[in-house]
Amino acid sequence: MRTGTYVALVFAAVVLDAAVAPEIAILGARPDFLVLVIVYAGLALGATPAVIGGFAAGLVADSELPDYLGLHALSLSLTGYMTASLWDHLVKSNVLVQCAILFGASLLHDTIYYVGYYRNHIDMFGPFFVRYALLGAAYTAALGALVYVVARWRHWGAIVGDTRT
Amino acid sequence: MVLPLVRLLSRNRQLSTLTICVVLSIVSLALPMPAKNAVSTVLSGGILGPFKRVARSLVEIGSMREDNALLRRIAVELADDRAALLEYKHENDRLRELLSFFVAFDEEERSEMLPARVIGMPGGRVVERIEVDKGALDGVKKNMPVVVPDGLVGKISSVFEDRALVEPLVSASSAAGVVVERSRVRGVVRPRFGSATTLAGWEMDYVPARSDVRIGDLVVTSGLGGVYPPSLVVGHVTSVVQGPLTMDIRVDLAVRYSTIEQVFIITGRTAGVRVRPENEDELLRELGLINPEEDP
Repeated sequence: MRTGTYVALVFAAVVLDAAVAPEIAILGARPDFLVLVIVYAGLALGATPAVIGGFAAGLVADSELPDYLGLHALSLSLTGYMTASLWDHLVKSNVLVQCAILFGASLLHDTIYYVGYYRNHIDMFGPFFVRYALLGAAYTAALGALVYVVARWRHWGAIVGDTRT
Repeated sequence: MVLPLVRLLSRNRQLSTLTICVVLSIVSLALPMPAKNAVSTVLSGGILGPFKRVARSLVEIGSMREDNALLRRIAVELADDRAALLEYKHENDRLRELLSFFVAFDEEERSEMLPARVIGMPGGRVVERIEVDKGALDGVKKNMPVVVPDGLVGKISSVFEDRALVEPLVSASSAAGVVVERSRVRGVVRPRFGSATTLAGWEMDYVPARSDVRIGDLVVTSGLGGVYPPSLVVGHVTSVVQGPLTMDIRVDLAVRYSTIEQVFIITGRTAGVRVRPENEDELLRELGLINPEEDP
C-alpha cells in the first residue's frame, strides 16, 4: 500500500468517524472507523505506520473535544502498536481472527480513552463500558467482516493474504 | 538508566515511534486550555469542518424528506379541518338566519315553534317528503305546519317516535289556501304538471277572471282551510293570463326546497286547527270556492 493511499484512508476514517458514525449508531453504539483503519494498517503495513496513523488520526479526532486533546492520539497509538505486534503471532488471513482482533482493539482503545476521560469519575466507566463499548466493538468487528468480504472480492493480498505489502 | 533506554529505542524503530507518539500525546494533554483550543480550532475547522457540514447537509436532506411527508399529512388534516370549519360556518350562518327569524316572534309564539333538522328528502324530481329529526316524543303531531325564514314549507304528514315526515308544498298531492297579500284575492296554490308528470311549476287556481292580481304580488297563506296559519309567505306571482272564467296565475315558491337544512314546526296551533280534508273538494268547499251542496 502506498503512503498516499494510507494517508487518504486515515483521513477518510477521521471524516467517517466524525460525520457518519453518529448517524449509523445502533442503540447509541457507534462503529469505530479509526480503529478499523489502524488495525488494518497494522496488518498490512506493520506497527510504525499504524502508530503514526493512529496518532495523527487521534489528534484530529481530539480536536472535537479540546479538553482531552491527545487522549485519542494516545489510545490509538497504543492500539495500533499492540495490534500490529499481535498480527505477527496470528493467522492473519482468517476472517474470524481479524474480527476478534478488531473487537479486542476497539475495546482496548475504548478502555484507554474512557479511563482517561472518566479519570475523575471512574465509577462511570463500568456502566459506559457495558452499555456502549461492547456493542461498539461488536459493530466495528462486523464492519471488519464486511471489509474482509470486499478484500476477498477485490483480491487485496494485504488483508486476505498472510504477507505484508 | 536513560542511556540503555535510548539505545533500545534507537535499535527498535517501532518502539521509538510509539514512544514519540505517546510523549506527544501526553504533551498535548498537558497543554494549557488556550493552546488546546487553538490547536483544536485549526484541526477541527480546517480538516473536519467542511466534511461535517456536508454530512450535516445530507442528514438534513434525509430529515427534510420526513418533514415533507409529515407536512403533507398535516396539510391533509388541515384541509379536512378547513372543510369541517366551512361546514360549521355554513351551519352557523343558517342558524343565525333561523334565530333572527325566530326572535321576530313574541315569546308565546316562540314557545310554539319547534326547531328541527332535515335528515332526509325522499323523492325523485319533485321533493315528495322531507324527513325531520323531531317526532312524537317531541310533541310533533300530524298536520302541524312547517316553516323556514323564507316562508311556508308544508305540513307534517306522518309522525314517528323520533322523526316525522313533512309533506311539502311541492309534492304532487299538496295544496294550500292562499291570498294575494296586496289585493286579498283568494285561491289555492298547487303544483302544475306538464307531460309525463314532469313538474312545470306552481299555479294559483280558482281565481275568478278580472281579479286584481299582478306579476310580483306576494302570495301568503290565507288561514282558511284550517291547516296553515294566515300570513305565511308562499311565493310571488310570476305570470298572469286572463281566461274566460278564471285566471291562469303562475306562482314561484319562496322556499328553495333543495337547500333546506333546518325548519321550524309550528306546534301551538294544531289544537285549534281542523284537520285538512284528504279530499281536495272538501277543502275547496271549506274555502267557499265551490258550492257546499255540490256533489264531489
